[in-house]
Amino acid sequence: MSTTTRKIVIAGVMGAISIFLGASHLGFIPWLAGAALTIMHVPVIIGAVLEGPVVGLAIGLIFGAFSLLQAAIAPTGPADVWFTNPLVSIVPRLFIGPMAWLAYKALKTTNEALSLAISGVVGSLTNTILVLGVLGLYRFLPWALIGTIAVTNGLPEAVVAAIITLAVVAAWKRLESGRRSSTI
Amino acid sequence: MIRAEEPLIRVEGLHYTYQAGTPKPIPALRGIDLTVQAGEYVAVIGANGSGKSTLLRHFNALLLPTAGNVWVTKWNTRDTVHLRDIRSTVTMVFQVPDDQIVASVVEEDVAFGPENLGVPEDELHQRVDWALAAVGLTELRHRASRLLSSGQKQRLAIAAALAMQPRCLVLDEATAMLDPAGQTQVRKILHQLHQDGMTIISATHNMAEAVQAQRVVVLSEGRIAIQGDPRFVFAQEETLHALQLDVPYPTRMARMLATVIRDFPTDVLTVTELAEAISMHLGQPLELRPKPTTGVR
Amino acid sequence: MSRRTEFEFLGRVTIGQYLPTGSALHRLDPRTKLLVCLLLIAVVVASQSLLGIMLLLGAVLIGLALARIPLSFALSGLRAMLPYLLLLALLQTFAIPQYAANATVLWRWAMLTITDRSILAGILLIARFSVMVLGLSLFSFSTTTTELTHGIEHLLRPWQKLGLPAHELALTVNIALRFVPIIAEEAERLMKAQASRGADFGQGRNFIQRTRKLLPLLVPLFLVSLHRADNLIEAMEARCYLGGKGRTHLIHLQAHAADYLALAAAFALMALVIGLSTANADQLLWRLLSTYL
Repeated sequence: MSTTTRKIVIAGVMGAISIFLGASHLGFIPWLAGAALTIMHVPVIIGAVLEGPVVGLAIGLIFGAFSLLQAAIAPTGPADVWFTNPLVSIVPRLFIGPMAWLAYKALKTTNEALSLAISGVVGSLTNTILVLGVLGLYRFLPWALIGTIAVTNGLPEAVVAAIITLAVVAAWKRLESGRRSSTI
Repeated sequence: MIRAEEPLIRVEGLHYTYQAGTPKPIPALRGIDLTVQAGEYVAVIGANGSGKSTLLRHFNALLLPTAGNVWVTKWNTRDTVHLRDIRSTVTMVFQVPDDQIVASVVEEDVAFGPENLGVPEDELHQRVDWALAAVGLTELRHRASRLLSSGQKQRLAIAAALAMQPRCLVLDEATAMLDPAGQTQVRKILHQLHQDGMTIISATHNMAEAVQAQRVVVLSEGRIAIQGDPRFVFAQEETLHALQLDVPYPTRMARMLATVIRDFPTDVLTVTELAEAISMHLGQPLELRPKPTTGVR
Repeated sequence: MSRRTEFEFLGRVTIGQYLPTGSALHRLDPRTKLLVCLLLIAVVVASQSLLGIMLLLGAVLIGLALARIPLSFALSGLRAMLPYLLLLALLQTFAIPQYAANATVLWRWAMLTITDRSILAGILLIARFSVMVLGLSLFSFSTTTTELTHGIEHLLRPWQKLGLPAHELALTVNIALRFVPIIAEEAERLMKAQASRGADFGQGRNFIQRTRKLLPLLVPLFLVSLHRADNLIEAMEARCYLGGKGRTHLIHLQAHAADYLALAAAFALMALVIGLSTANADQLLWRLLSTYL
């Protein structure tokens, strides 16, 4: 079995889920006062955990490029103004996958479930910190506000990402081992 | 008939176990011996979990035997050096139409296989033209693949397999997800391809398709339970029922009629044959076809 | 609106919106459009000159006219964003103290300061966004998804020789775009099936509950997609896919005179904009204006 084929297809399909979550607005969980938590980055984390950092990078690129395109073509809120800048929408997203994968790899041997949850948290926080960091460097937002957003939005997003990553990857690994018998 | 050539596919003592070497091995194939000659049309039937898909995946080295050997012409499938040769000699069409289309445009998807083989460009165009014509999709060649109906998608998958110019086409329940019209179309295409000399191996739940094969192989729990020509296999209704398999609908009708009509033939496979048998019984000649090629014996 | 339509994603999930006017711009090689688009994004981000951005805005408007796209159509995205844009521009003008340094203070009241630089930053924000919105809309109005995939693949092809996984990346993007409608369909099927059993998605008192309510949709969606990915992997292997090496190609894009012309014009414009930015043209203009007015 060629592993390249697997990496390409998993990256493509996870990229498609990310695009779908964004385009359908299903990837936004309503939160306080009209703000929304996003789970569009979760396919990046899951792809990285399953197939490695390069796949995570590719899905991150697709996620980022799509969020730039969406911000410009179908803007819906103030954040879209910033997201038309690739340094905000694309570059930070490239790091989500590799960071999540590093966390997963470092902890996998100790406790599989824990490592999945942590990789969800790490991947999600990478997204939050880098995106907000660029916004701060660009002086789009004052640092004080950025700190507040990081805590009020970033932490819940990390929790949500951890829950979904754990649920999906654990179910898939359980299924994968039993799955083959059903296709006999 | 003298066969100077070696068989196209030869399976000897094939065992396959999923998760072999783990605490929970799942045996799928338990000793299969099978030979398929060039130009044959073989239908593989069996209940879910009988091993059909697993067996088919050994014919082009998508799976390698846990024990035993599979040869495609002179190549052992374990021999990875010949992987390209094996997979371009025996190509596969899968069950879910959407999950085997790679490109977003019809003709580009047909080209995907030969592109992988590095076929030179002028020949590439010829192959695509020919494969599209063979399945009747020439008119739709520039259409987005996702806009096709599932029957059209499955014909596209067949064209994509044909463009590899294989000697054998393997279909894994390729009509299972199609509507009746789509099933009929695919069945007709397979029939025509076989007439033109293509070897066809088709796993199916569709008994109307199985009867057009020359040989039916019945799998049960990873072994061959019965094999022979369709008339021989479908005569064994009780055995097939025990394996959770049906006989073709006309056969079932004929057997029901035989319980009330003395001497009514039960070895009927198709609707035409059934109609002929009934007309014979009524003493009125049937004018469906000028000369039935497969008369009722 | 009936309850069913809530789950119908298929119509809504589109990447961009192709508008077939058959203009000369539509007929350009997708590589040309893609290159110009990428260049535009880079220059819009890099340029610090309002003058330059305004030039780009003019160029994009000319492009829209050439593509025969009704202006009202193109502007609809911007119009909806107007209140947010003004809000952000105000935020940029007032609330960001970093601009206070090394700038002329125009107005000050308590904590709030307005400087020439902060006003410029606010205007730049709106101008940049307008160029991006109109530029990318122009791109998506005039390029089909298929052309986009072809463009990406052909632009990346030469990089393969340098050892980059260019073919693999192009194929990944291709598969992603192909799978979006499949996943939309799958999600729709899952939601309808579960709604009939009384599931309420994304409802709940707090975000944890809302997430847990979403899991019965998300987890199967991921699993089904991964399963379908497995099917596709198998199908690709059965068709002898073994990476990009030694592949031939059915489709070859052909660049015409119009493409070279368009590229030359785009490069010249972008160079001018970057030039204006590095030469601090705005500063000069500002000084000129403040001396004469």
